[in-house]
Amino acid sequence: MDRLDRTRRIGWVDLDRIQEARVLIVGAGALGNEAVKDLVLFGFRHLDVLDMDNVVRSNLNRCVLFRENDQSSGRGKSEIVAERAREMSPEAEVVPLNGMVQSFGPEELGRYDIVLGCLDNVAARLHTNANTYHAGVPYIDGGTDGFRGKVQVVVPPLTPCLQCAMNRSHFKVMERRFSCTGEDTVFYQPKMAAEITTTSIIAAIQVREAVKLLSGKDTIEHVTYYDGMLGTSETFQLEQDPGCPNHTGVVLSEH
Amino acid sequence: MVVRVRIRNAETGSTVDMELELENTVEEIIEGVAAYWEKDPGAYVIRKGRRLLRGQQKVQELDISSNEELELIPDPEGGNR
Repeated sequence: MDRLDRTRRIGWVDLDRIQEARVLIVGAGALGNEAVKDLVLFGFRHLDVLDMDNVVRSNLNRCVLFRENDQSSGRGKSEIVAERAREMSPEAEVVPLNGMVQSFGPEELGRYDIVLGCLDNVAARLHTNANTYHAGVPYIDGGTDGFRGKVQVVVPPLTPCLQCAMNRSHFKVMERRFSCTGEDTVFYQPKMAAEITTTSIIAAIQVREAVKLLSGKDTIEHVTYYDGMLGTSETFQLEQDPGCPNHTGVVLSEH
Repeated sequence: MVVRVRIRNAETGSTVDMELELENTVEEIIEGVAAYWEKDPGAYVIRKGRRLLRGQQKVQELDISSNEELELIPDPEGGNR
């Protein structure tokens, strides 16, 4: 029996394109674990997973692919995620990349059909957003905080980008993370509230949007916010920000 | 000229009425209500109906009716660590 038999019964899903697509998952933590699990189970076969960290014990409340002894193994998150994903789907080629997304420019990001942002800070999001936009690669960003989450789908040049949705409050958050004393730059990473139920919902929405995009279906326009306490989700439209540097000289059409 | 609007806090459901000058920006509204509600430092957005407002938009560009309700929504940035 074909393991994807039930997926094939969803008539509009373009499984051939999904199996050929090259996907980069930026971040192999909470959202990255869930996204990779969903991607390989859905039938994606070409995944690169990028992260710079190792597993710590506090990851284990929300990372489905990590195990108790991973924290002492000294192995990177991306390596472990890739190994466990291949166990789940031996046909999948899942490549671990150890590093920061800031070392990826438009040329590197332009090799992918879709990039999934599973990040935890504004600076990395802005870098990924700008460089995927300039490479013309769709970017699906997820974010969580406790029982809240959001997903934004950016399809260049049709949609507004992540930076179009940001305001001074985002940049203040980023400034706090990179406080400069004049002699040193200190990177401050606060510990944020995080749990598995919201993580799994947000990552699932990211993967579902990737499936829709590759299958020629309309995606969400443009940002979906999820509130786990109320059990609601709402999708809001955005406008291109005329001051956004990512759209200079780019004529947007309606999406 | 001033426009009176009601801002709803998506996290608590509480509201506050604000009188805005036409020159006020969305960012200034965010900072004003975040300070009023003593919100934790973080990223926030404001929505008007089904539309997210851009930070640098001025009140005069927003097509706001008197006593219209806007909503302050926290913008989650976690997801990896």
